[in-house]
Amino acid sequence: MGRSRVASTATGPEPGAAYNRRHESISNSRLTAVSAPGIVVAGLHKRYGATLALDGMSFSVRPGVVTGFVGPNGAGKSTTMRVILGLDAVAEGTALIEGKPYRSLRHPLNHVGSLLDASALHPGRSGRNHLLWLAHSQGLAARRVDQVLERTGLAPAARRKAGGYSLGMRQRLGIAAALLGDPPVVMLDEPFNGMDPDGIIWMRGFLRSLAAEGRAVLVSSHLMSEVQDTADHLVVVGRGRAVADAGVAELIAAVSGNRVNLRTTAGTAATRVLTQAGATVTRAGGRDTLVVSGLPADRIVTLLGESAVPFSEVSAHRAGLEEVYLELTRDAVEFRAMTPTEAAR
Amino acid sequence: MRQALRAEWTKTRTVSGPLWLLLGTVALTVALSACACSVVSCGSAGCGDMTRLSLVGVQLGQAPVVVLAVLVVAGEYGTGMIRTTLTAMPRRATVLAVKAVTLTGIVAAAGTVAVLGSLASGRLLLPGRAFMAAPGHPPLSPTEGPTLRAALGSVLYLTLIALLSLGVATVVRDSAAGIGIVLGLLYLLPVVSATIGDPHWQRLLQRIGPMDAGLAVQATTDIHSLPIGPWPGLGVTAGWATAALLTGGLTLRIRDT
Repeated sequence: MGRSRVASTATGPEPGAAYNRRHESISNSRLTAVSAPGIVVAGLHKRYGATLALDGMSFSVRPGVVTGFVGPNGAGKSTTMRVILGLDAVAEGTALIEGKPYRSLRHPLNHVGSLLDASALHPGRSGRNHLLWLAHSQGLAARRVDQVLERTGLAPAARRKAGGYSLGMRQRLGIAAALLGDPPVVMLDEPFNGMDPDGIIWMRGFLRSLAAEGRAVLVSSHLMSEVQDTADHLVVVGRGRAVADAGVAELIAAVSGNRVNLRTTAGTAATRVLTQAGATVTRAGGRDTLVVSGLPADRIVTLLGESAVPFSEVSAHRAGLEEVYLELTRDAVEFRAMTPTEAAR
Repeated sequence: MRQALRAEWTKTRTVSGPLWLLLGTVALTVALSACACSVVSCGSAGCGDMTRLSLVGVQLGQAPVVVLAVLVVAGEYGTGMIRTTLTAMPRRATVLAVKAVTLTGIVAAAGTVAVLGSLASGRLLLPGRAFMAAPGHPPLSPTEGPTLRAALGSVLYLTLIALLSLGVATVVRDSAAGIGIVLGLLYLLPVVSATIGDPHWQRLLQRIGPMDAGLAVQATTDIHSLPIGPWPGLGVTAGWATAALLTGGLTLRIRDT
């Protein structure tokens, strides 16, 4: 997939427009002062021995949107998050939180709430006490601990030892910890792991509510299906860099191309007519369905009518996000929707 | 720094491990001291250093201190909680400093109880061993010059062992390895020095070993015949602790977590 085709197909609604509208609507309430994006990652390079873990990872996470951070295992998602949190060093590149490196933040939990590994806690300490020491480290009161316990639905189990928590409960505890400082940026690594269906539904609604409050939300997953109903924006990673950084709608449109689904019982005849007119025809999943590219839908209808080829349906082909994801991570080609500034040029 | 210290204190008091290990230090120290005081037999000429004898339990009581101090940091690496800690407190020096301060406080408190308990056991048990019959042996008193120095020095010794363990654990990041290294350093070095035939090397090892040198601070008699003086000896242990903490701080700063 070439860059030029992507640029031409990614027009539609301007990528930044939805975000800008949303941002305007929330700017009066919570994040009046926020002008810089929540997280800006630029040109990260990192090596573990012979393995190139990060190879020019760049993207940004904006307030008011859930950004999905997807890619196969080992693509560099967790490494990138550790770099953002100042846990891992990089050979090159910068990762900034509201314009500042993480290690320079005085009370970092008031700026970024993060959850990397839900099991990273002392099994003998109660959930509440785990949050309490974190609160004390940021100069927060114990009252705040009880608030986040309520919000994550963990209050009934708060005084039990965290070692006895299920993975889903640990995820909630980790999220409670991420919310302690009421941060404008929230970053969660695989938060759906170990959650039961109820928990997954709760998590989706919860992530959307965080974004609706004007926070920048970055959520990683190795499964597109987990984030596709939640994320507004996607950063797809492969082999240590972002292979796509675009809105969900733009991504689908780009991968779908100008393809048209054609349902017909006369597949052979239709293929002959359309190929003669310059289209490329492939057989899709269904027995009677063809995917046609290179011709607009109305032209296809005219051509088939003229040749008296019967058909029952002509519709725009919509790629599923899984398809988008597979295509992007298989090729690992650079893919990027135009940024608002590029579009203005 | 004050908030970080408060957080570390909350961490320490909300799990049961530290309390048990500190109680273990007190129990082992007093128990071994009491045993030594009750089995010692002396001639009419007295039998050497009563203060040192009644503080011998420190040699055993330091083991739980080592375990506690190693777990304070290596335990966090074991569970992965170190990432949470460093995410909440990104300044590495602060993280290590508050751990050192908290550890110093709780080990000094437990060490004081352990040392006073040991001296009390000596004071109770030694007269029964015909000690006091010998002239020049007043009852042990923690307020009397050399005994006071020995008592205070023993408490300081225990805190320095804690800091040494903390530093080593920060470097190796593994509980078992950390405990093994420090206990080996403490207990195996004296064994090695005892098996060395050459008196020159033997004396050198006794001067630089963290336990042999540090516990010289407990001596109250024949100080001039010791391989190293009481305070310089404790200084050697302090040197070990400082070196370990600095190395730990450096690795914490430059290595990925």
